[in-house]
Amino acid sequence: MAYTGVTPSARSRGMVREARHLLATVAPGATWIVIFLVLPSAYLMGVAFMTNGPYGLPEMPLSLESFRRLAGFGFLGWSPGNLYTLLRSLWQTLVSTGLVVIVAYPIAYYISTCRARWRPIMLLLVVVPSWTNQVIRTFGWMNLLAPGTPLSELAEALGLISANMGLYPSNFAVTLGLVYNFLPFMVLPLYAAFEKLDTAQVEAAQDLFASPVRAFWHAVFPQTLPGLLAGIVLVAIPAFGMYVIPELLGGGKGMMLGNLVANQFAGGSNWPLGAAGAILMLIATFIGLFAMRRIGKRLGGGEEVVI
Amino acid sequence: MRKRTLKRSLTGFWWFTLAFLYLPLAVVVLFSFNASNSAATFTGISLRWYGRLMGNEEILSAFANSMILAITSSVIALGIGCLIGYGMYRHRHRKLGWLIVLIYLPIVLPDIVFGISEMAFFVQIHRLTGLLQPGLVTMIIAHVTFQIPFVALIVYSRFVGLDPTLFEAAKDLYATPTKRVVHFMLPTIKPALISAFFLSFTLSVDDFVISFFTAGPESATLPIYIWGAIKKGVSPEINAIATLMIGAVALAAIISLVFSRRRQA
Repeated sequence: MAYTGVTPSARSRGMVREARHLLATVAPGATWIVIFLVLPSAYLMGVAFMTNGPYGLPEMPLSLESFRRLAGFGFLGWSPGNLYTLLRSLWQTLVSTGLVVIVAYPIAYYISTCRARWRPIMLLLVVVPSWTNQVIRTFGWMNLLAPGTPLSELAEALGLISANMGLYPSNFAVTLGLVYNFLPFMVLPLYAAFEKLDTAQVEAAQDLFASPVRAFWHAVFPQTLPGLLAGIVLVAIPAFGMYVIPELLGGGKGMMLGNLVANQFAGGSNWPLGAAGAILMLIATFIGLFAMRRIGKRLGGGEEVVI
Repeated sequence: MRKRTLKRSLTGFWWFTLAFLYLPLAVVVLFSFNASNSAATFTGISLRWYGRLMGNEEILSAFANSMILAITSSVIALGIGCLIGYGMYRHRHRKLGWLIVLIYLPIVLPDIVFGISEMAFFVQIHRLTGLLQPGLVTMIIAHVTFQIPFVALIVYSRFVGLDPTLFEAAKDLYATPTKRVVHFMLPTIKPALISAFFLSFTLSVDDFVISFFTAGPESATLPIYIWGAIKKGVSPEINAIATLMIGAVALAAIISLVFSRRRQA
């Protein structure tokens, strides 16, 4: 466009210069990401299909052994340990995402009904705890849920746990930690949806004598759906691959996929098995991203979700 | 009538949720001032754990590592990311889908997959060539990798927000591309560069998982040190160091609030 009326040779020279410019600006970063992320993850994918050597390092020949191990088939026949871990990851992801929605939905609505000058501060109050290091936040919960603390004694008095057990380590503590960790990720997109809410639709529903439940279901909920779905993806994907929270709050019986994978590279030393678990996590991630794109297109939002 | 009950119960729920969000942090802060080393009972106020921190070589070196890592990686990522951001803007009419995928990859990849990929890669490179022994260098490489996309996207969106005729004007005004960069581009995108640097810095200081898997024995950062201390058995010093880190975050929150207020005014 900029080259109309210029001789062809000058035009092609301009194109060469533009191409060189593109290369000069983009190449360093692109090369960096390719060398230090694309190659390593490609290597990891490859490792999943290799055999576990005597020192836990991957060796030839290629095999599907690590996927069989992941499904529970070992030297001593089939054991459900790894499958339990997988199911627990799925279950924890489902439960914690559900709970996050239940807490975040009213909170996001409440913030949107408050005075405009308070809203940024309220959002900041929700987000600030997630700025502190994840290890420290989880450590805080360890302190709160340990045996002998008021919360544990309360649960004991109510007969929810047996004496001197404490609320941590347990699957309950992991769920709590996940909900705590991911709450802001759900509040932010939901708040964005509530802020844009077209109240005329709600008024129309009320004018037509819709009950509050029906007015909510037909006039409010569909409008918040894009925010809700974005929030679910933002919560569920990282929750499924969570490492720190189950490691600190879960103990041996609270292990999730992230711990299974990490253990193969640290103590357990079975790289192919760990890599196979990582592939599973990647598949979950890409399904989530794909779902988000599809939903985004269908709802016509077209907006990028900004974290 | 019904509306008021709804509003009131929502207000109650709001304060309950805030308590839920701040309780774990409050416990850490409270017990950092505990006179006894019990993690369950508070016996009195004392500063002894803070005193212990100052004499703890490991914590001081972990703090130094965190700072070296965050500053070095942010500076490198700023340079590389800034170039990509500009390239993406200047050539935004071309089909750059592959570049977008590449840039989003570090953001969408789960932490743990990111961390172990790098670790496995670095270990094998080290075995084959003797280079890239796990330590600060490998951590810096890994951190730069996840910082680049954020810098690039911030710089890119700053350029997109500019009036395109400004570039024409700058072309007329300054004869050489170098002068254009120094006198026009860098000053215009300065705010974006500053926020990109601080975001990169924060991401680096806050990161645990990726650092954990790329670290060597000598290069523990603060989160890695705290993790190790928790695993070994809780010592009250962790509360003290964690409180200092929470304090830093609180300070950052206040600063960001003041800045956003000023921008509004």
